[in-house]
Amino acid sequence: MFDRYELNGIYDEMFAGANSPREHYRPLVEDLRELGAESMLRRRRMADVTFRNQGITFTVYSDQTGVEKIFPFDIVPRIIPSTEWTQIEKGLVQRITALNIFCKDIYSDQKILKQRIIDPELIYGAKMFRREMLGVTVPKDIYIHICGTDLIRDSNGGYLVLEDNGRTPSGVSYVLENRAVMRRIFPQLFSSYRVRGIENYPANLLQTLRWCAPPHADDPTVVILTPGVFNSAYFEHSFLARQMGVSLVEGRDLVVDNSFVYMRTTAGLRRVDVIYRRLDDDFLDPLCFRPDSALGVAGLMNAYRCGNVTLANAVGPGVADDKAIYPFVPDMIKYYLGEDPILPNVQTYVCARENDRGYVLDHLHELVVKSTNESGGYGMLMGHQASTKEREAFADKIKSDPRNFIAQPVVQLSQHPSMIEDKFEGRRIDLRPYILFGQKVVVMPGGLTRVALRKGSLVVNSSQGGGSKDTWVLEDGD
Amino acid sequence: MMPVNNEPIPIDAAAIESPLAGPVLARDADASYWMARYVERAEHVARLLLVNSEALIDVGDVAAPLLQQHWQSVLQIMNVESIPDGDDPYSLRITEELTFNTNSPNSLISCLTRARENARGIREVISSEMWEHLNLLYWTIRSTETRTAFEESPDQLYRQIINGSMLFQGLTDQTLIHGQRWHFTQLGKYFERISVTCRILQAKYELLHGADVSADTPLSNLHWTTLLSSCGSIEAFRRTYSGETDPLHVAQFLVLEKDFPRCIRYCAHQAYEAITAIRGIVRPHSVDPTERILGRLDSQLEYAQPSELLEHGLPNYVGQIMENIAQAGISVLRSFFLH
Repeated sequence: MFDRYELNGIYDEMFAGANSPREHYRPLVEDLRELGAESMLRRRRMADVTFRNQGITFTVYSDQTGVEKIFPFDIVPRIIPSTEWTQIEKGLVQRITALNIFCKDIYSDQKILKQRIIDPELIYGAKMFRREMLGVTVPKDIYIHICGTDLIRDSNGGYLVLEDNGRTPSGVSYVLENRAVMRRIFPQLFSSYRVRGIENYPANLLQTLRWCAPPHADDPTVVILTPGVFNSAYFEHSFLARQMGVSLVEGRDLVVDNSFVYMRTTAGLRRVDVIYRRLDDDFLDPLCFRPDSALGVAGLMNAYRCGNVTLANAVGPGVADDKAIYPFVPDMIKYYLGEDPILPNVQTYVCARENDRGYVLDHLHELVVKSTNESGGYGMLMGHQASTKEREAFADKIKSDPRNFIAQPVVQLSQHPSMIEDKFEGRRIDLRPYILFGQKVVVMPGGLTRVALRKGSLVVNSSQGGGSKDTWVLEDGD
Repeated sequence: MMPVNNEPIPIDAAAIESPLAGPVLARDADASYWMARYVERAEHVARLLLVNSEALIDVGDVAAPLLQQHWQSVLQIMNVESIPDGDDPYSLRITEELTFNTNSPNSLISCLTRARENARGIREVISSEMWEHLNLLYWTIRSTETRTAFEESPDQLYRQIINGSMLFQGLTDQTLIHGQRWHFTQLGKYFERISVTCRILQAKYELLHGADVSADTPLSNLHWTTLLSSCGSIEAFRRTYSGETDPLHVAQFLVLEKDFPRCIRYCAHQAYEAITAIRGIVRPHSVDPTERILGRLDSQLEYAQPSELLEHGLPNYVGQIMENIAQAGISVLRSFFLH
């Protein structure tokens, strides 16, 4: 099955050279060869049926009804040795610590702006900067409780941070379900490895949420706020509620009275202390943000600003997700922590800066240009693949609104064997580990490995034909 | 220093003592009730279609008008006003309409879709066994294989759905905590069963009257058999009243029998128990309007004389029961689902 496997001249996770698997992949390669194509195909069908029967789906809006789809699952697991993981973990802890201090600073003293380490104009021009939060104290000074940082590997295998996702990162339910399905269909593969468990993520999440409750709540009531069954990530919201044993509420289930938040139960109103909200800022409170949103709760922001309810993540960390502010994260780490960044950024040109803009406009054909406030692979120009016409059109956009664009060199993401029809082919992957910031910082050992299932594609987003695979972090000494 | 908390929150002490008294979202209760109700409805639709198709095969070439009447009673029970024109025989068009038409509110596919949609909204609080089973039923009726198999032999699908509903009830009883949510599923299930049984009695009784058949002719026997089978009660009835089928016995069995789960009195009693339990958890020291309605109905059925059933005509008698259940449904909505 590996007979015609091509390395494509980029970093391959499994093979160091033709037919020579890396040390930590050797037992797996052997096991896979032994299983053979037919057995693999049968197991893949088993996996698909399991996902469908359990309703592990996301919703795609192609027409009014919305179609439920299975998130394509690639059955070849990815393996990360423990030494590599230790470095990643350290880097992630460092990063989320700096980001939380940054948010606190930005919404209070703004020292980093006064020191001119970041241009205030960039902050105030960020769409997701929340003036409403200036001078507001949030419980335990935590803004980013749950972070899902996207990591990629360059052509030398070095890990880089692509983005931080400090608002409402999704995908963690797939990580847990992928593992459960792998254990069911490939129990024998696990016997050659000691894979670190990820199953206590929901318990850690609940602990994090409870720890950040407002001080008046002795036994805090935690809920998850979902936009509803039609949201593409609804499965995840419901999954986490089930795993943590907390209520899953919609905006219409909540009501604010006298600056406290209550949920409507069969026995009347009951106070809510912590809301893990899976709803963007814009929809949280029609009195404060979008008045046309029916998904949120009127008066929620007021209760929040009074300190009567905790929102996780806080309102405001979106400013750190802005792609024009991302390039300054290494500076934040140096400024707030006095340390050198462990995980480097991808080199980034900020079009708001004149020098950068000139360079970007001259080198469009070799850069990836991204809109600073879009995600999910939208609003991008892949310079090396675009036509002259597309590039010219994009150049005009950049000139008319430079604040809204950044550019990065094309990073050749690493590839990993995927099962394509009945054999293995290399497909590009990234990695999204999940970090919880509460009384302590907990990094889930593993994360969501997303796969660009289309041949040659560099885009791993599920909305653009991406899938996912199980990610194994090995115990020390393996 | 004592923590200062000057905001008054009324919490019922009794509600805190019970470990099953964790808060239940009004929306969750609503969805539990409707999930169970739609599964129950699907079961009744499947049974009606199954029984009527089989019964009419048995009689072979009965007069066409009689056939027509029979199927019309099915439409009447399911509250379908008309069915689309077409070249297919009348019976086929009806089974098609009530099985696969997504625009028909009481078709099997609609019932299962709505049952699943309700379950999907509360899958974090129902058991994964319940969810997976219901999800599987939903995908079954939507699959092309089912469609192909249906064209060869429709009864397979109907039996699968009837058994599916039974299994779902079993899973609900054995995998869900018997707290508020479970009681709401019971309420939904028994309300639905009472309503459909009443409708079947009404429609079939009218049919019997119109046909003007004296008891004990083959044709009348067929009518009685169909009626009892449509309510899933034929075997239990025969074991209770052997010999010829007496109209009064049929009515007495389906309305007043206390020990058989498909009979109205049994269901009314279970519904009453469910609402009493819910009220006991939610508002221990008050009387609930739904409880009052169901308590009265329960007593009425317990102390009824069999002859009362036919005094003003059976359709009239069961009509009043339906009215009670409709009011109880509205009252549950007001007391627990809307806040």
